[in-house]
Amino acid sequence: MSSAGIIQLSLGDLAGAFGLILLAAALARLQGAGQGRDLLWSALRMVAQLLAVGYLLHFVFALDHPLPIVLLLLLMTAFAVQTVAARVRRRMPRFYRIVGGAILVGCGGSTMIFCTLIIGLTPWYDPRYLIPLAGMIIGNSMTGASLAAERLAGEMAERRQEIETALCLGAPARLAAREGVRNAFRAALIPSINAMAAMGIVFLPGMMTGQILSGTEPIVAVRYQIAIMCVITGSVAATTFLILLFGARSYFVNEHQLREEVPAEG
Amino acid sequence: MECELRLDGVSKRRRDRSGRSVEVLRGLDLEVPAAQLTVIIGPSGSGKSTLARLLNRLEDPTSGSILLRGTALQRLPLLELRRQIGLVPQQPFMFPGSVLDNLQLPFRYRGIPLPTASDDRLRGILDRCGLAAELLEREARTLSVGQQQRVSLARTLLPGPAVLVLDEPTSALDRPTGDRLAETLRTICRDERLTVVMVTHDLRLAERIADHLVYLEAGRICETGSAAQLLQHPASRELRQFLAGTGGGDA
Repeated sequence: MSSAGIIQLSLGDLAGAFGLILLAAALARLQGAGQGRDLLWSALRMVAQLLAVGYLLHFVFALDHPLPIVLLLLLMTAFAVQTVAARVRRRMPRFYRIVGGAILVGCGGSTMIFCTLIIGLTPWYDPRYLIPLAGMIIGNSMTGASLAAERLAGEMAERRQEIETALCLGAPARLAAREGVRNAFRAALIPSINAMAAMGIVFLPGMMTGQILSGTEPIVAVRYQIAIMCVITGSVAATTFLILLFGARSYFVNEHQLREEVPAEG
Repeated sequence: MECELRLDGVSKRRRDRSGRSVEVLRGLDLEVPAAQLTVIIGPSGSGKSTLARLLNRLEDPTSGSILLRGTALQRLPLLELRRQIGLVPQQPFMFPGSVLDNLQLPFRYRGIPLPTASDDRLRGILDRCGLAAELLEREARTLSVGQQQRVSLARTLLPGPAVLVLDEPTSALDRPTGDRLAETLRTICRDERLTVVMVTHDLRLAERIADHLVYLEAGRICETGSAAQLLQHPASRELRQFLAGTGGGDA
């Protein structure tokens, strides 16, 4: 990937681009949608966050040492967990431990497999590859994790009667909660499935577009895109699976007793 | 009289809606005689349903112990305990599929051979529960609530529990349907020598079928004894008030 021949963006060009945000804010105001302030605030956050990340990456690339890179990845994971926590309305018991562990293992495992076994990075921590790839994997898995955690909490609350009836009939916890867990897994995987099915037709994926913009041959960029989509889907599935495995268990006090909630009747 | 279940100082605390810890059951001592029909009666909020849930360990007591023929429930493997003590929940829940599918579930959960539609025991229990054999192929969720309650009962009886616990089995039923279910319980208890514990607030029902009556109020057992004795000669002020308030009995 060479950056030769790429058109540089000056600060003046950026200011021009920002004019379009003002246009969006003006349109929002015109509609009376009440989103003008949100739009501007989000845009400012974007600028600040991206600039910070840009300088951070610049610094980490220059250091060329695995420790700051691993720290950065851990930080990204922590932010991902926090984002999931903010998105779900009902948190499962032991939420942080379960979601954090699942993202760490699911995304970490997928990223390592991709970087070492599939593209064979040398050194394994080459930040130019590792950080953006891990970012995409964590970002997508985070969405899957939110969907799974949210859906699981809903299913477990709605299916209380069903689960307790199954327990009464001698079902172990795993079988009693099975339908709800299945639904949560399906819900979490839908975005990945849809994204793969629509890829290249409905939209050109960001990574491929970026590579093409920076001068990579489209055929090479396409191969990368296929590989990353496979890894993202694998990572979403693994992260979701872990969240649901331990998450469903967290609703039971011991092996076959549902955690108490507000009682239905005295 | 042989004792099937024994409660020793059973208390249960739990959080109410506002998060405060409340004592739902307070130091219950009780002996449930084998092969008899024991009815636990009390006003709503007395802790009856919680007591039913403790018996097959959907929940555990905060203190005290429950013994099944001398063995503490906690010492029995949970899944084995639930095979021996079957609980029929207040609201019948039908799983997707036919009535037969629903009846087979306990066997499926335990990974043991499924009874078929022509199984003698299954036919016998259907008959006892007042369910026609033609219903076996019906989608369980299309049945009336009364029929669902019967399927729920049959589903719990089929694996052959030693103790049957029912939580307000007639609360969702109209009076004639409730009475038929009560008769069914009476017959099953007598013929199969099954120990039955039924929780209800329905005094008329208790009067009809109970061998043994327990009056529970505010988490305490106020009185126990034979149905005739308690209803004719209530000793506690609480039971007298309850009998007067619900207009039943001769008190």
